[in-house]
Amino acid sequence: MWILDTAYRDGVDLWCRDRNGSVTRKHVAYDPPFYLHLPDPAAHHEMLDVLEAEFGAAPCTFRTLFSELEGFSVHGSRQLAEQVEQQTRFDARLFNVDVRRDQQFMAEQGIFPCGDDYGSRFTPDLSFDLRQVEIRIPDDPARTPLCTEAEVTGDRTERLHGPGDTVVADLFGLVESIDPDVILMSHADAWLPQFRAFAHKNGLEMPFSRNGKYRQMSSRSYWSYGRMEHKEAALIPDGRVLIDTDQSFVYREGGLFGVLMASRLSGLSPNLAARFTPGTLISSYEVYEAVKRGIVVPFRKADAETVRKLTDLRAADRGGMMFQPEPGIFENVDEIDFTSMYPSIIVKYNLSPETLDNLGCEGFLPAVLAPVVSLRKETKRRKHNEARYAGIDTLLKWMLVTCFGYTGYKNAKFGRIEVHEAITARSREILIQTKDLAESMGFTVLHGIVDCLWVQGSPVEELQQRIGEVTGLWAECEHFDWIVFLPLNDGFGAYNRYYGRLFDGSMKVRGIAARRHDTPDYIRTMQQEMFEIMQEERTAAGLATVRDRVRGIYVTALQELPHADPRSLAISRRISRTRYTHRCLEGAAVQAYRDCGVEVAPGMKISYVIRDARRYQVDPEWSAETFDIPYYRSLMEKAWNDIAYAFGGGGRQPEWVVQRELVAPDPASSPARVPQG
Amino acid sequence: MQIRLRPGITLRQGTFSAVIAPERVILAALNNNPELERFLFLFVCGNYSRLISHIGRSASSFEVRRPFTADQFLSVIREAGHTIIFIEHDPSLFETAERLLEPAGSALKEAGHEALVVLYAPAMDRPFAALARQADRVIEIVNPGEPDPRQRMAAGRSGRRGDGRPQAQTMLEV
Repeated sequence: MWILDTAYRDGVDLWCRDRNGSVTRKHVAYDPPFYLHLPDPAAHHEMLDVLEAEFGAAPCTFRTLFSELEGFSVHGSRQLAEQVEQQTRFDARLFNVDVRRDQQFMAEQGIFPCGDDYGSRFTPDLSFDLRQVEIRIPDDPARTPLCTEAEVTGDRTERLHGPGDTVVADLFGLVESIDPDVILMSHADAWLPQFRAFAHKNGLEMPFSRNGKYRQMSSRSYWSYGRMEHKEAALIPDGRVLIDTDQSFVYREGGLFGVLMASRLSGLSPNLAARFTPGTLISSYEVYEAVKRGIVVPFRKADAETVRKLTDLRAADRGGMMFQPEPGIFENVDEIDFTSMYPSIIVKYNLSPETLDNLGCEGFLPAVLAPVVSLRKETKRRKHNEARYAGIDTLLKWMLVTCFGYTGYKNAKFGRIEVHEAITARSREILIQTKDLAESMGFTVLHGIVDCLWVQGSPVEELQQRIGEVTGLWAECEHFDWIVFLPLNDGFGAYNRYYGRLFDGSMKVRGIAARRHDTPDYIRTMQQEMFEIMQEERTAAGLATVRDRVRGIYVTALQELPHADPRSLAISRRISRTRYTHRCLEGAAVQAYRDCGVEVAPGMKISYVIRDARRYQVDPEWSAETFDIPYYRSLMEKAWNDIAYAFGGGGRQPEWVVQRELVAPDPASSPARVPQG
Repeated sequence: MQIRLRPGITLRQGTFSAVIAPERVILAALNNNPELERFLFLFVCGNYSRLISHIGRSASSFEVRRPFTADQFLSVIREAGHTIIFIEHDPSLFETAERLLEPAGSALKEAGHEALVVLYAPAMDRPFAALARQADRVIEIVNPGEPDPRQRMAAGRSGRRGDGRPQAQTMLEV
């Protein structure tokens, strides 16, 4: 039984695909209880009587992460659970209230989506033959009620073009006739409500769902890793996987294989796995594993950090270790990178909320993370030879990265801040231990960030082996022919801004324009062209020979800037708010969107072109006709300075002359108007 | 046992006080009072404490506990058995848990029957006001040299600054 989709509607709906490719719905009656523990049940006997009479409450014993508790099982909704909380003045401890019921059912039954049998859950192979269709719609759903163009690619490609109602009706017909299992669609979550309104108005049946039913997911803005994100509302079809190829982080990073693996591990429908963040996925995975092991899931995060001495807190509350680099260009450098360092520490050192006070017991987190860490090692090994594993590997990387952060997340069901601190404490010890080991073997340590060291020396294979023996963790090596560590404004080395040529001739770039999400295409392309020339050279000395060619790219880009397509200068940013107390370009962009009738919410990505930076005048990307040449020149200069550093031996000043020569005679100090057409 | 905030303003055991004051005033009260080291002291703060790195207390009687959710806050206050409970207010705890404001205020009030409970914030906000509703005393100390915040608000409404000057005036008129 290959489960393609699941839902809960007065029972669990499992959409199963058989070997012949036909998909059928199986409905299973299922009404699990939630669990209630009261420190003093006698004080609430009247409430308990009502719960027993009306909601089948029965005394029972259940297992939490820490211990067994006496309590009651109650067949009721979340609203009932919240009423119980209120009535007990928040004395009651509740469990399994907000676990997704289809997920809970599968965990209890030992089944999961997107896999054949239980043994296949932690293997990197996904055996399936799903009917896929990809729908590309170039129109912007925020500005067009119905699409006027669409390209549908299944076994063959169909292009639809015409009035919106005709295109959408034809699109419906195509989807119905192809009857796909998976639909990959650009801006699907924004288009579907508009398509549904159209279908409703014209008496049509929207064919994306296999039974005409859709689940509603509301939009929301939320903070994630220090930045505001926005999730669009979504209509999720039953019986089919619909992936918004523009909005789905998991799809963007891991492709369809990544989505299916996320679904398999977390026990969530692929429709949800595609729409959730890696943090929600790892938390869902932990919930699935807890239910499978008979551990109840707390409704509220009420167990607080233990009482600590101030000095203990100050000693424990630190992050990862950093070694600041000396800025400059270095040859023959090896990057030693611990694979999934934090999750490996959790597993190796048995770090879990319940093991901090009880070292002997097997921890929940290590037990559930161990197979995922092993799976990641396997996909990392396989992806070098087979590209199809790259998506799964990336997905696992993200899930494992977030599993560490999740231990310190305030609402983590199975987290505890002391575990988070213990992990970083171990990681600091390991990085220092590794540095000492490298230096004792004659290596020079150039730089270090949390789980990564850059060293010069040989033989690196011997060092790699010794690190494994000493730390018990697996580390991978990447050789740079040369690498540039960029300086901060104060002249010291920046931790996270570097680029270099790898042994295979490719470039690895971090923290500079070519890598940043908000860099205009025009500038990114310029920097990438520079790297294409620089990567031809295997030595730092060789770089000097291509200096003029690389600078030529910069000079040409500057000269051609006034004639550039304004859209190639669009800056894309995720906005963290929609109200601004001070004038700023981002605030002006938000206003420009509103002026065009496009509503924005925190966490949404907007794309705009600066028309006049001094006057805070910007245009949405689609309507930009002019741009502020001096402003974009300054961005190009910054991008060039990072490259020029590789040629200047650390001095930046000489390269600025290029900019002055071009800017000085230019009379266009005000924004240029670019001719249309 | 008592904490002297300013001459004439003293916090005593067996009370729950809500205090709004500049950080340096509250830090001085905590750091310059060696007598406090004799008592079991619980400092409660969130993830982004503005005070904790400036507190120069290493006595074994000085303990810290950090709730990161409103439910944890309630647990911390209910479980506290210290003589002094000082809470550095973190409004983010109640952003999605307004349902807990009233019980949390009650828990503070109850803890204040035995201990000296101080709920502190540098400025008033809505969750603080809700928690302080059950306090025995609300004390607001204005930074010397700065206009009273309430005067500032009133001045904003009347079109005049808190110090009596019209809003647009930036220089002394002669």
